[in-house]
Amino acid sequence: MTGYLWIVIVLPLAGALFNHFLGRRIGEPRAAGPAILAVLGSFAFAAVAARDFFISAGSSEQAVAVVHLFDWIPGLGARAELLWDPLSATMTLVVTGVGALIHIYSVGYMHGDPRFGRFFTYLNLFIASMLILVLANNFALLFVGWELVGLCSYLLISFWYTRPSAAAAGKKAFVVNRVGDFGFMVALMIIFLSFGTLSYTEVLHDPGTVIGAGTATAIGLLLLVGAAGKSAQLPLHVWLPDAMEGPTPVSALIHAATMVTAGVYMVARCAAIFGLSDVAGGVVATVGALTALLAATIAIAQRDIKRVLAYSTISQLGYMFMAVGVAGYVAGLFHLVTHAVFKALLFLGAGSVIHAMADQQDMNRMGGLRRKLPLTHATMLIATLSIAGIPPLAGFWSKDEILAVMFYAGGYYTVLWAVGLVTALLTAFYMARQYFMVFSGEGRWDEGVDPHESPRVMTVPLVILGALTLVIGFVNTPFRLSFEHFLDPVFHSVPVAHAPEDGFLLAALALVSVAAGLVGILIAYLIYGRASEEVRERLLGRVRRPLMAWEHGYWIDDVYGKVIVEPGLRIADWSAGVLDQRAIDGLVNGVGVAVRRLGARLRPLQSGFVRAYGSLLAAGALLVVGWIVVRGI
Amino acid sequence: MTGVSYLAVAPEIILTAGAVVVLMVDVFARPSSRVHGWLVSATYALVAIAIGFQWRRVDIDGPGLSFGGTLLLNHLSVTVRAVLLVTAVLGTAAAWRMLIGLRRRAAEGVALVMVATVGFMLMGASADLVMTFVALEVGSIALYVLAGIVRSSPAGDEAAMKYFLLGAFASAIFIYGGALIYAAAGSTNVYEIAARLSGVHVVRPAVLLIGIGLIVVGLGFKVTAAPFHSWAPDVYQGAPAGVVGFMAAVAKIGGFAALLNILTGGFERYSGAWGDGLALVAAVSVILGTLMAIQQSDVRRMLAYSGVAHAGFILTGLAAGLVASSGILFYLATYSVMVVGAFAAVTAVSGQAATGSSFEEYRGLGRRSPVVAAVLATLMIAMSGMPLTTGFIGKFQVFTSAWEGGYEWLVITGLLASVAAFFFYLRLVVVMYFGGEDGDGTTLETARSIRWVLVFSAGASVLLGVFPGPLLDVLNRVGA
Repeated sequence: MTGYLWIVIVLPLAGALFNHFLGRRIGEPRAAGPAILAVLGSFAFAAVAARDFFISAGSSEQAVAVVHLFDWIPGLGARAELLWDPLSATMTLVVTGVGALIHIYSVGYMHGDPRFGRFFTYLNLFIASMLILVLANNFALLFVGWELVGLCSYLLISFWYTRPSAAAAGKKAFVVNRVGDFGFMVALMIIFLSFGTLSYTEVLHDPGTVIGAGTATAIGLLLLVGAAGKSAQLPLHVWLPDAMEGPTPVSALIHAATMVTAGVYMVARCAAIFGLSDVAGGVVATVGALTALLAATIAIAQRDIKRVLAYSTISQLGYMFMAVGVAGYVAGLFHLVTHAVFKALLFLGAGSVIHAMADQQDMNRMGGLRRKLPLTHATMLIATLSIAGIPPLAGFWSKDEILAVMFYAGGYYTVLWAVGLVTALLTAFYMARQYFMVFSGEGRWDEGVDPHESPRVMTVPLVILGALTLVIGFVNTPFRLSFEHFLDPVFHSVPVAHAPEDGFLLAALALVSVAAGLVGILIAYLIYGRASEEVRERLLGRVRRPLMAWEHGYWIDDVYGKVIVEPGLRIADWSAGVLDQRAIDGLVNGVGVAVRRLGARLRPLQSGFVRAYGSLLAAGALLVVGWIVVRGI
Repeated sequence: MTGVSYLAVAPEIILTAGAVVVLMVDVFARPSSRVHGWLVSATYALVAIAIGFQWRRVDIDGPGLSFGGTLLLNHLSVTVRAVLLVTAVLGTAAAWRMLIGLRRRAAEGVALVMVATVGFMLMGASADLVMTFVALEVGSIALYVLAGIVRSSPAGDEAAMKYFLLGAFASAIFIYGGALIYAAAGSTNVYEIAARLSGVHVVRPAVLLIGIGLIVVGLGFKVTAAPFHSWAPDVYQGAPAGVVGFMAAVAKIGGFAALLNILTGGFERYSGAWGDGLALVAAVSVILGTLMAIQQSDVRRMLAYSGVAHAGFILTGLAAGLVASSGILFYLATYSVMVVGAFAAVTAVSGQAATGSSFEEYRGLGRRSPVVAAVLATLMIAMSGMPLTTGFIGKFQVFTSAWEGGYEWLVITGLLASVAAFFFYLRLVVVMYFGGEDGDGTTLETARSIRWVLVFSAGASVLLGVFPGPLLDVLNRVGA
């Protein structure tokens, strides 16, 4: 079964090719059919192939399979090999499962778009790329997936490329990711220099025998740069909010559920390297904590429904980085899975709202949508409570496990735990704020807007995700650590941080974090749910200055613009105008002219007469034969 | 050394039988073109199966000789057959419309393609100079006739006549070389020659060396190496477009396979001498081919000169001897696919039986026929040797072999020529996409068989450029 694992990747790839060539011809909605079937097929295959892991959960590493396809670049130890272990299985199931639902949802959301087929081409291509990324068994193939995912992200963010803002956002995502990729590439070079190969099998098997703590720290920090780019961590988080220019299903798929988790996945995959260096892990956790807090504060002041979610994604990814930084891989991955579900739900719900409001994204123009969009409202409420950490929803279990792990790690990490706790309060606050602004109160709609519930093809995925949000947390509760046992074969040889086993301590920690969540919701209710317009204005007026800073994301984008982008543009202008046109083009054209003149002199050789050709042949024969005789004697 | 193994010539037997059946069925039944199609497909399928069996046999029993030591059955000869088969299938598909358009003589054209393939397959398997000569003539005469198969075209007649006259000249040179070698070594079998030469001090090697040189010239003519190339532009321009790609590819494959067999099999001892000779021819071919290609205003002539340059690149690898054989085969296989694809595109643009194909006809092709333009652009980029295409991998292989073989100056010449070659390859791309408005603005209708060839050739050129590993793995066993 696992021998045919390549089918998982080939299916969406075939779907992408199919729609690329035939998508326009077969038109809407038929173009979506093959695309959805391809992803569902991948999901089904992966689910069946992962069955062994469920059966043998917690037993041994025998379940891990390496599928050799062919030698790709043998010199680099880069074989086209797929790694099938519980970690890659988890990622594959998340990508294809959430991906399939988003594909279905897109049928409704992209209805009427002239490039309907092309959209599904890109979605399929993205799924295939992400699967290459998570299934690779060496860093070279991982990098291929890594770059392809970046490319798809670019294509999808600027899908509506006629909008200048969308085109700019796509470009920004691409460039910022490139910065991260640079660090990643340097990390790969150091890995290759130290190990002589890029294969996981050799690099990640007891790397301590080959490299010391210093090299491990260097590799870890450089990998972190790459991960920060892809997973939108400080200071490379700036592309993600702008990426909301893409169609909402894209935001859900790429910028919430899958692509941005690539960084977390990569750190977890390299657990053996991070395990050698406390410094690298500590930096990862600190970056995560800072990002979580910073993004949460920014989210408070956003008015665009999707930007709130974008910053909340950055903040939640910060949680995951915190967890994997202290070696709480299971906690981090658990949050990755639950977050993928409820954040996809939030985005799709937001998409449903935007759809209903005739493409309005400003929450100040919403309100009172509870009755108009009952299904969207119900599912969004579940997701909001989940991310706020209210039991027994998915987000509670996974976030709580991260906080417990942080607290239990002790020492310096207790500070990060406190940061996480504050962030939890803020998270509950801004999510509840969003809920109240969108769904409760009076409608502040634009003229002529008549909100209506979205079609079935969009609400059914919402309901499925909502149901999943209710139950998926139970795969890893302190009472029953199924997910942890499932992942055992992956992390059995590296130190893993666990939540405390002391039931009383766990309960106390859970109480504290739930309390934080409830307080956040309460404050939001008081300000945005109950208070009148005037009271709210007065209250917010008192904190005008911080609100300004948050609304503009601490002006980080503006600083980057002044310090990096403008000088960069000036250098580009100079090299395009002066360096390239005068110096390099001049040189190239000069050579071209010289070669052409030389060639013109040779033209008489080709007169068209057979006698001339015969003579040339004879002369050439004499020359060559003479030369061979001279060299041979 | 002795013995008769029918498996060793099974592909040739099947192809010959196929050609005879096609002709006979045509005479007695006057069938529709569809029947011809089925017969040809069945023949090629059987040949593919036979080649598979041959490969297995070599895997199990190792290389062997049969028919009195004249025919080799080794990985090299089987690979050459496989490459020729692929070329023949693509060439037949690309020329299908043209061949069928000959009406009463369609069967003749199809049979000639098969017979030419037989000839060059035997060249790749031959271990005897007489055998090589017979095979060479079987293949060449079929090609002379193919060049003039459209009787209503004066340009085609001229091309066929030139090709035939100069080809006869080259054959004479080759057989004279063979005679001198027989006089010096007392045998025409390459392994026997090698055995007789080993361990003896040859007092006056000049006769032998002249023989080797004449053989290099004779085969150099077939592979369009400069300065024995002058027929190529006229023939490629005048012959019916459909078959030119096939003609260009098979003659190169057969010629290079024969050079590899004869020079490394019989004259390893003089590898320094013929290596330097090949290096000279390679340098002249690369330089002259590139410079002349830049001058052309006709796509077919441009491709002819680019073929001269490519012959030079392959010779660059060959100069280093047997170590380069896997690289040479990779180059031959991928170049054959490219050149058949490129001429299929020319056919699509200028018409089946047309002669000449000026750059003007390609103006605005990017809009008129996106698929043909995209394929042609891909093939041009691949031929120029851009990374991530087969052209790059092929050049990389032959250059590294030549460098290790001590021909550094040749590699540098080749690199410089490759850079200059970008000019004419990309010029066609520029004309197609940025050439301004096209003349008539009509969209092109392309036959399905041609479209199939186009997509296959461009796809293979990119796919094998990105993932050359599997093919190189197979070919590396050839060199071993």
